[in-house]
Amino acid sequence: MLQKFFYQGKGLFLQSLHPAASITFIAVLLVLAVIFTHPFYLIGILMVTLLALWAADGLAAWEGYLKVALWMVVLVMAINPLVNHNGNTVLWQGPCLPLFGQIIITMEAVSYGAAMGVRLLDMVSVFCLFNLIVHPDRFFSLFSMFARKSALVVSLATRLFPVMFAAMQNIREAQQLRGVDFSKGTLRERAVKNASLFNILLVSSLEDSLQVAEAMHARAFGSGPRSRYRRDIFRPRDGICLAGSIFSLGVSVYSLARGLGTYTYFPELSGLFSGSLSLLALAAVLGGLSLPALLSWGCNRCHYLKLKI
Amino acid sequence: MSLFEVENLTYYYPETEQPALHNVNITIEEGEFLLIVGGSGSGKSSLARALTGLIPDFYGGRIGGTVFYKKRDIRSISRRDLAGEVGIVFQDPEKQLVMTGVEAEVAFGLENMGLPQAEMFRRVAEVMSFLGLTPLKTEFTTTLSGGQKQKLALGSVLAMQPRALILDEPTSQLDPAAAEEFFNLIKRLNEEMNMTVVLVEQRLDRCFHLADRVMVMENGEIVRDGPPGETAAWQVKNGLPFVPPVATLFARTGSPDVPLTVKKGRRLLKKKLRNGDKEMTVALDQQEQVMSPSGGKPVVEVKDLWFAYPNGREALRGINLSVNTGEFLAVLGENAAGKTTLLKHLAGLLKPNRGKVTIMGRDTRQATPRQMARTVGYLSQNPNDYLFQDTVAEELRFTLANLELPDEGRVDRLLEKLDLTRHRQANPRDLSSGERQRVVLASVMVAGPRLLVLDEPTRGLDYGLKARLGSLLREIAKDGTTVIVVTHDVEFAAEYACRVVMLFDGRVACDGLKHAALGSSMFYAPQISRLFRDIDSSVLTFREALNKMRLSPY
Repeated sequence: MLQKFFYQGKGLFLQSLHPAASITFIAVLLVLAVIFTHPFYLIGILMVTLLALWAADGLAAWEGYLKVALWMVVLVMAINPLVNHNGNTVLWQGPCLPLFGQIIITMEAVSYGAAMGVRLLDMVSVFCLFNLIVHPDRFFSLFSMFARKSALVVSLATRLFPVMFAAMQNIREAQQLRGVDFSKGTLRERAVKNASLFNILLVSSLEDSLQVAEAMHARAFGSGPRSRYRRDIFRPRDGICLAGSIFSLGVSVYSLARGLGTYTYFPELSGLFSGSLSLLALAAVLGGLSLPALLSWGCNRCHYLKLKI
Repeated sequence: MSLFEVENLTYYYPETEQPALHNVNITIEEGEFLLIVGGSGSGKSSLARALTGLIPDFYGGRIGGTVFYKKRDIRSISRRDLAGEVGIVFQDPEKQLVMTGVEAEVAFGLENMGLPQAEMFRRVAEVMSFLGLTPLKTEFTTTLSGGQKQKLALGSVLAMQPRALILDEPTSQLDPAAAEEFFNLIKRLNEEMNMTVVLVEQRLDRCFHLADRVMVMENGEIVRDGPPGETAAWQVKNGLPFVPPVATLFARTGSPDVPLTVKKGRRLLKKKLRNGDKEMTVALDQQEQVMSPSGGKPVVEVKDLWFAYPNGREALRGINLSVNTGEFLAVLGENAAGKTTLLKHLAGLLKPNRGKVTIMGRDTRQATPRQMARTVGYLSQNPNDYLFQDTVAEELRFTLANLELPDEGRVDRLLEKLDLTRHRQANPRDLSSGERQRVVLASVMVAGPRLLVLDEPTRGLDYGLKARLGSLLREIAKDGTTVIVVTHDVEFAAEYACRVVMLFDGRVACDGLKHAALGSSMFYAPQISRLFRDIDSSVLTFREALNKMRLSPY
């Protein structure tokens, strides 16, 4: 059931990208979601991410992520106006509440809360995209260029996670049929029952870890410097996507330096666009980031393009 | 030329007083296929580890004597060099895979050896192609079947291009088809590539004949070493069980020739069985007659059971089944046929999407697993899922306390019955695999269930432990508890069950008394039945075969 939320090899264009290209694309999306405050940029990043999710056949998975994220987004949007009393345009003044003081809802705080909600949505969507298009081994392989041992530890943990999840379920079932009712009892009693599950899992995992270590030892792990197996080929498509991501990042830095990507919420909302340059910069940023999805669309329709890149 | 020479090898694991290996002396020639057999704790796995340098390099402990590899003391060879010469595949594929993806797993050992990219790529490509793993190269290792995982474990060792391959019970977790495929691969490696193979195995009917030499171990010592036929005859004469059924049968009847395969056995049988015609049938196994309840109220009733997992995979499709009091039923079938899913329905852990499961007249849809626990005893595949108390007795008392049942001597009686009294105060995790399994059996039997369901209980057990478990389950069934066992072990099902259900793709493909179900099967027939096919179809168990042979003078 949870499989749709994680990487599944479907032979998609975005999954065929070199990890350097796909991870750069993801990283740029994430960085831009953090550094921009302008609502149009934040919405634009969301649109581009959704486009990529569509190209990665991941809209169904994204809906799953959305079910969890939407609560957080609504919470951010609701709490921000309650605690943030900045802003000149007062929409509503309420009674005095403990902790919050007097409730003052301003237009600026509502707008800021909404923008932060969109930013959160951007990040969740980018995370979803990462899970769907980057194979963990390829990611760790790239990561191991810088931190070999850490990458291996993370890879090992990633592999063991579903195994331990299944083991936990088996232990729970075995306990249930020895009369343990995990839903009954006081909080403390239930905590004790659940602790016994972890106890069994921990002891079994420790025993298993010795066997894994032995197998690694037998395959010469730790016998000296390791080399790195690279199976990825850098193709024109990777160059185009990488160039698009770097171009977008460059334009973004330029926009921020020129004050085009920032937006003033307090004390009063500033105008949405200061001129045609800001629109052009936005189009350039989004254009560069749309390249992977557009190429994916093109390759699905044009065999010639697919062969050439 | 000898590849390994072991001289006066004695080894103690850390903090133990009993040697795991005692004065072992052997020579293994290059290109030889050596099979090591023996009971649990006989020192087979320790010897395998000594040949790979894991003992004492990984385990520590005290060691005496020397293992030479190509005339060099194995301890003087660097680990990296040794890994490129001697590879080992372990029992459980789950616990020897490291990476998340298939291709990365094959490359893992090569990276550890520090090989250049071009060399790694060539070796990965060759191995994946040889083992037929290429279509799986982008798969996650967790999504592979048991057979595929073990093949991958083999591939990741073969990529290191060892001269010798050590295999420690590599098929114990596999179904019969996957085990057969695995042994065929090993045979190819030995015959076509002159790879030296040292195999430690319990599934002897499929590999005994492949070996050039068989070594029998007991208490850390080699008690016999010789050609397979000769070793088989010696074992039977000395009451050791580590021989394929067909060889045991002929040796027991005093035949001077001891065949190791069904093919040779049939040739011999046809030649020697003077009255091998149809009317020469033997009486059914008495045990089966005793254990095939003719009537009574059914304990288990499954009506039109359908079940699909949340990912949409239909695991059970219209299952109908009725099992009576005291019946001993074996459920067979390939991987993913729905066996475990059916078992979980019988235990009340899963609820039907459609249809109905009743246990002792109670609809499982209306009962929680805790309510079912008084009626159903459930043993999952891994005994370690149960054990967490400090002593064996506490494990049993834990079940009683949860179900609010009084002790009234139950714990003592059960420990006595399962030969666990001497381990009463021992930590269950310190016991051997067979003993752990008996503790788990006791911890569910203490509630006095009317139905006992077991998932793959013979996994990793040697012949002796398997026989002991089979007899115990028979006894439990005889006492009136219905026993249902899911197993891949056809020999076990044939020998101990009274009825067999075969599942295929979530449906019942066959349901009947074991003679009818297994005797007519092509691939799920035990070795004895295959031996007597078209000679006497009523012969299925070892006892029946022995009777038949004795009734037919040579």
